[in-house]
Amino acid sequence: MRKMREKNPTSYELLFGPAHPGSGNFSVRLRIEGERVVSARADPGYLHRGFEKLMEYRNAMQNSVLSDRLCILEPLNWNLIHAEAVDELTQEEIPEKAKYIRVLMVELSRIQSHLIWYGAMSMGLGFDTGFKLAFGYRDYILDLFELITGGRVYPAGYICPGGVRRDLPDSAEGRIRKVMIKMEEMLQRCENFETTTILPRTRGVGTLSLKDAIRLGATGPIIRASGLKTDVRRDDPYEIYPELDFEIPVRREGDAYARCMIRRQELRESINIVKQVLDRMPKEKLKPVKPKLNQKIPEGEVYVRNEIARGEAGIYMKSTGEDKPYRCKIRGPSLLHMIPVLEHLLKGCQIADVPAIYWSLNICPADMDR
Amino acid sequence: MNETELIKKIESEFGIKAEKQRDRRIWVTVKRKRLMKLCRFLYARNFEHLSAISVTDFPDKKVYELTYHLWSYRDKILITVKTKIPRNKPELESVTPIWGESAQIHERELHELFGVKFNGNPDLSPLFLEDWNKEPPFRKDFNWREYVREEYYDEKNEREKPYFV
Repeated sequence: MRKMREKNPTSYELLFGPAHPGSGNFSVRLRIEGERVVSARADPGYLHRGFEKLMEYRNAMQNSVLSDRLCILEPLNWNLIHAEAVDELTQEEIPEKAKYIRVLMVELSRIQSHLIWYGAMSMGLGFDTGFKLAFGYRDYILDLFELITGGRVYPAGYICPGGVRRDLPDSAEGRIRKVMIKMEEMLQRCENFETTTILPRTRGVGTLSLKDAIRLGATGPIIRASGLKTDVRRDDPYEIYPELDFEIPVRREGDAYARCMIRRQELRESINIVKQVLDRMPKEKLKPVKPKLNQKIPEGEVYVRNEIARGEAGIYMKSTGEDKPYRCKIRGPSLLHMIPVLEHLLKGCQIADVPAIYWSLNICPADMDR
Repeated sequence: MNETELIKKIESEFGIKAEKQRDRRIWVTVKRKRLMKLCRFLYARNFEHLSAISVTDFPDKKVYELTYHLWSYRDKILITVKTKIPRNKPELESVTPIWGESAQIHERELHELFGVKFNGNPDLSPLFLEDWNKEPPFRKDFNWREYVREEYYDEKNEREKPYFV
């Protein structure tokens, strides 16, 4: 905390993060007059690892493992985007069952990512029960990841170019169905106390109009909370999403409460999708994909978009016929959400509302800095 | 408006070739002078969402290739506009007046990582890197392995020795 002007003791600069509990490796400089935030300036870069450059030095299978690390909170989704970019360049045929497993894993990953958000949001609002509930229930999904991919958080390139590394184990279907019942139970428990905890702290806070949302580059749940019905899974479909039946929740208010409720409904939709995928999953066994070393990727360029828990993610990949990509541009949703959107929403808000706004955006420093 | 109609419109208006890669993907290359005109043309036709801007470095050809990935929420088409600028004088007009803050932040990132100067962008201050005074690090000729070795590794350290072989 630093005093801005000697004469006015109520005017000072406050650093929100990087040491704030739960702010992540990211900070915002707030200029404050009394209780009001006059302006906010995002200060990213704590997690900059230069993935785009690292990928230029590695082949597709190595990059597949590397792509986990793009976002700590949803590694499987980034696995899928990278695999899709390579698949589109090589024009490889993906086995039908691998497509189902891909969607299954990605939706499980979306659920656990939303649960982290639920925990962090509750903690930001000083509601510790929600935090412990969400992180406790998230562990059930991590157990599934351990069973299927071998890693609890990082799947080490489970979704790889050419399909998935290996088939689901026999016990997986029954266990996933049991975990989905647990997830529904958790949502039920959360709904019971939300009107007294989340609602009063978030309603009318950090309102984002649709016009601003488009101009600031908001995507995913944030733009849906502002009233635009858009979802990459529906508008620009990939994998088996066109065959699945799911709703896209939309709200008009655009405040922090709307964003929370959108994610809550998305949790339900994702549970629904997981059940549908399990019902339709082909029965035959899938051959494991062996890592192809020194595989040359045909010349070309693609731009692949996916809907991840935070919004729209994309990879622009250019290949010149080598085994390594010539250029790999990664577009993460958080770059737009953490800098333009956050700065816009924080301007003029009360100091006590900063955590509510910050967490309602569900931002991840890892995929912003890359 | 579907892909073929849009391609026809671009071809008749600008006299350049647009290519349909697959459903919902169009690629078009434009001369740098006409980039702004094409961007305004596309923005007026509902390409409101600037998904990403990217720079590809070609040191052999001495050019930077810029790609603008634009999405239309109404027509559900992604169009990629490509243009080339000289590598020794990487300057370009900013698209911030068209797409606002979302373009601004992408350009700020590229300015830092590739050294491309976007004229008309109000804020091109450093974003991720701290106290960086070397050449832009994402250029192809920047050897990050050498940089890391010199800056952070110690040849006498038993664990870090292999990096010096």
